[in-house]
Amino acid sequence: MNPSLEAIGERLATYLTERWGHTQTLTLIEQIPGGASRETYRVRLRGADGEQGLILRRDPTSSLIDTERALEYQTYVAVYPTEIPVPEPLVLEEDPQHLERPFSVMREIAGCNSAVADLALPPYVGVRGRIGEIKWTLLGKLATLDIDTLGITSFMETPTHPAAHELDYWAGVIDADSLHPEPVAQAAIRWLKKNLPDPSGNLALVHGDYRSGNFLYTETGDIEGILDWEMAHIGDPLEDLAWSLDPLWAWPERTLAGGLIPRVDAIAIWEQVSGYRVDPQAFRWWQIFASLKGLAIWISSTENFTNGTTKEPILAVAGWLMTDRHNRILVDRLSPNSAHLYAEPVL
Amino acid sequence: MITTPGKALGDLAMKLALSIAPETSSAYAMANTGMIAVLLQALGQDSERAVANRLADIVEIKALFTAEGVPNTTARETFLHREPQSLRLSDVMTHHAEGLTLLIELHAWAEANNPKLDQSIWSFLLNHTERDKFDW
Repeated sequence: MNPSLEAIGERLATYLTERWGHTQTLTLIEQIPGGASRETYRVRLRGADGEQGLILRRDPTSSLIDTERALEYQTYVAVYPTEIPVPEPLVLEEDPQHLERPFSVMREIAGCNSAVADLALPPYVGVRGRIGEIKWTLLGKLATLDIDTLGITSFMETPTHPAAHELDYWAGVIDADSLHPEPVAQAAIRWLKKNLPDPSGNLALVHGDYRSGNFLYTETGDIEGILDWEMAHIGDPLEDLAWSLDPLWAWPERTLAGGLIPRVDAIAIWEQVSGYRVDPQAFRWWQIFASLKGLAIWISSTENFTNGTTKEPILAVAGWLMTDRHNRILVDRLSPNSAHLYAEPVL
Repeated sequence: MITTPGKALGDLAMKLALSIAPETSSAYAMANTGMIAVLLQALGQDSERAVANRLADIVEIKALFTAEGVPNTTARETFLHREPQSLRLSDVMTHHAEGLTLLIELHAWAEANNPKLDQSIWSFLLNHTERDKFDW
């Protein structure tokens, strides 16, 4: 084991021994790549009942997405008893004395993959249609969960105008974090303000980052866990649908949403399961908003890499390559003479 | 002295991605080595073209500021008669930022008042984003 990782693992074992009241011995710790908002570690501990796999998520010193760890953890707690599969949340510790920074622990869902690139390779390519069907079925189910029954209204704001609320937040991120003028982002913000849809009246738990890469899939084409709820909030369910279909998540592929199934099929599945009809005008707004939100995250990532203390390569990759792509997607979507090289003209 | 830094960075990116990354001992190290290789490639590309791309943007922005129907403002007039302090990228970026800030203001005006100019600005934004795109 890497000595610095081992030290983190040993401290976690000591903490959990005290918290759970029985001895936990570290047998493995490894860092999982791609944890852009939290440092993520796979940990194995041996106790009286045998070995168990855990996922440790620790606050970084600098992050791609500025999020509230308690909100994320409470969301896992709320969703865990539902039909939406998520890792079992076990511990939230906000006192930094134990692992230098706040952290949470969840039970590992073993035997799964989350890599986007592997969806196009054997053995997964043969079952990606099934994965896609399940992915948008689960998103449709998420839209049907009652926010009061879930209990999320106790720790999440309930917006009166979800579209205006989200636009205000992410436009603010762009204004605060841009290191260079962003003419495409500013044009998109103006368009979104001018074309703001009326509130649909549909309120749901919005995952906020529902895309390929944020779920655990198996060789048989099942989805065992939906991950990364750090941007979860109460909002319009069309927001998640639009985000899940953003061209970036299948780049440069254009025919399969998220690299999985045709977008019309994804929308049809979502409509059937959720019981909602997709209003084309409102959905166009949410699709352009999705690309703007992506751009805001990448702009923020650039600022974090440049001025932050953590020089994680993912911050620079996101800040450079993803900014480039979402700029092109937005020009493609909004330009009056668009040739639609990167994004579909409607829906 | 390496006279072709863009090519050198690209070569180092390939070395890192194809020879060194597979030798790393953890998935975390391999993923980060791969990402650094991608960044080296992007840096290699931009070391060659960044100044030229920003200057091309500036030329097109100035053309938009003198297009038919564009009202004169002191800020735009001043920008039209200025050049970057030097051809160092930092100086070109400063001048480029000034141009883009004024362009954002003009674009908002054009959307309400001058559809033809609005269209021309979108054409510029297409050129601008295509010029800067990362080619694998």
